[in-house]
Amino acid sequence: MVDITETLDCSGDVCPYPDVKSKRKIKKMKSGEILKIIVDYPLSAERIPETMKSLGHEVISTEKEGTAAWVILVKVK
Amino acid sequence: MALLLVILSGMIIGIIFGFILQRGRFCMNSAFRDIILLKEYKLFKGVILILGVSMIGFSIMILSGVLTAAPKPFTIVGSILGGFIFGIGMVLAAGCASGTTYRVGEGMIGSLVALITLAVGVVLTSLFIKPAMAGILFPINDPTTKGSLTIAGAFTPIVMLIIGIIVIAILSFKELLPSIKEKKSANEPVLDFSNIGNKMFKTPYPWWVAGLAIGVLNTIAWIVSFYIAQRNYPMGITKGWGDLLLFVPSWDLFLVLGIVVGAFIAAVISKEFKIRVPKDKMTLVKQAIGGFLMGFGAVLAAGCNVGNFLSGIPMGSVGSLVVGICIILGCWVMTYILFMRNED
Repeated sequence: MVDITETLDCSGDVCPYPDVKSKRKIKKMKSGEILKIIVDYPLSAERIPETMKSLGHEVISTEKEGTAAWVILVKVK
Repeated sequence: MALLLVILSGMIIGIIFGFILQRGRFCMNSAFRDIILLKEYKLFKGVILILGVSMIGFSIMILSGVLTAAPKPFTIVGSILGGFIFGIGMVLAAGCASGTTYRVGEGMIGSLVALITLAVGVVLTSLFIKPAMAGILFPINDPTTKGSLTIAGAFTPIVMLIIGIIVIAILSFKELLPSIKEKKSANEPVLDFSNIGNKMFKTPYPWWVAGLAIGVLNTIAWIVSFYIAQRNYPMGITKGWGDLLLFVPSWDLFLVLGIVVGAFIAAVISKEFKIRVPKDKMTLVKQAIGGFLMGFGAVLAAGCNVGNFLSGIPMGSVGSLVVGICIILGCWVMTYILFMRNED
């Protein structure tokens, strides 16, 4: 079980707010902290993990939870 | 009977288009915007692939006499201003005309709002604003053919065929070949048809599947709509939504209704359908303004991102090329203002 430092709920957000919000959020976090991102927008659910990886962060998991809801866990580099 | 065929053929093409759009998460606003916002090029490569496939498909149909070219007009003010305003509008609306349409089928209320204002924008602009601007919207025609200005006059279809083949060759060489090599060295099958049902209905499509499928569908749509509805053009979005408000039972209308249905089916099967309302109500206001601007821009530019970009550019229309460039510029300016200005 991972210790989640902060949670960012992007439910209902339209393109590209989930992507932009998660980028902004993770910039303000410290190394080793865990960010939990909740999205219900399919494209962002696929793209946020890729963006996070390209920024050098570690994507711990991407899980689909129920209908049109994804939970992404990212460990800040 | 004739109307029934129009309804059926429009709906079927629309349903297939909507299904592919939803599975491919295919939106040209994302494609253009993410070049500068996320440095992400997958969807843009998909757009280029659609152009390449459509260039080849259209040219073969025109050169073999199955169809007659119908390039969109070039009007300096309409093409530049219309394209730029459309580009600004799609960033505000969080989706291009086709992207907004398919997202309604996913249950996104913001996109529904944008679609309603888009339809209103189309109708108001074509009934009142465009006639008032008639003096500055004169088309610049080809001096030899007297038709809409195309990149190579009478030779345009053959030139587009060659460009299409080059585009596909470059994409295959730069994208397809490396991925085949990668799979071979990892001992994976190059084309894996196992679990094909799951791949078609449940997992998202990679850019090249969506791009290839839309390019082929675009050519088929032109043939079908010409021979069934006497409508000489490939796919387009904005006219259909305007026709909904005006109660015109056109092929365009059934195409866009089909897109919503197709995206809905795809979203339900993949468990991605959900009624979603933006938490921040300002987002809805932005989407409403964006939708209206797209409707306004599309009428001035004689088409949206589908009518101009996916259908007009492969026909070699100079007007569509200018509109396409201006849509991208408008998209980038608004993306910078909304999402990048205050970043360090």
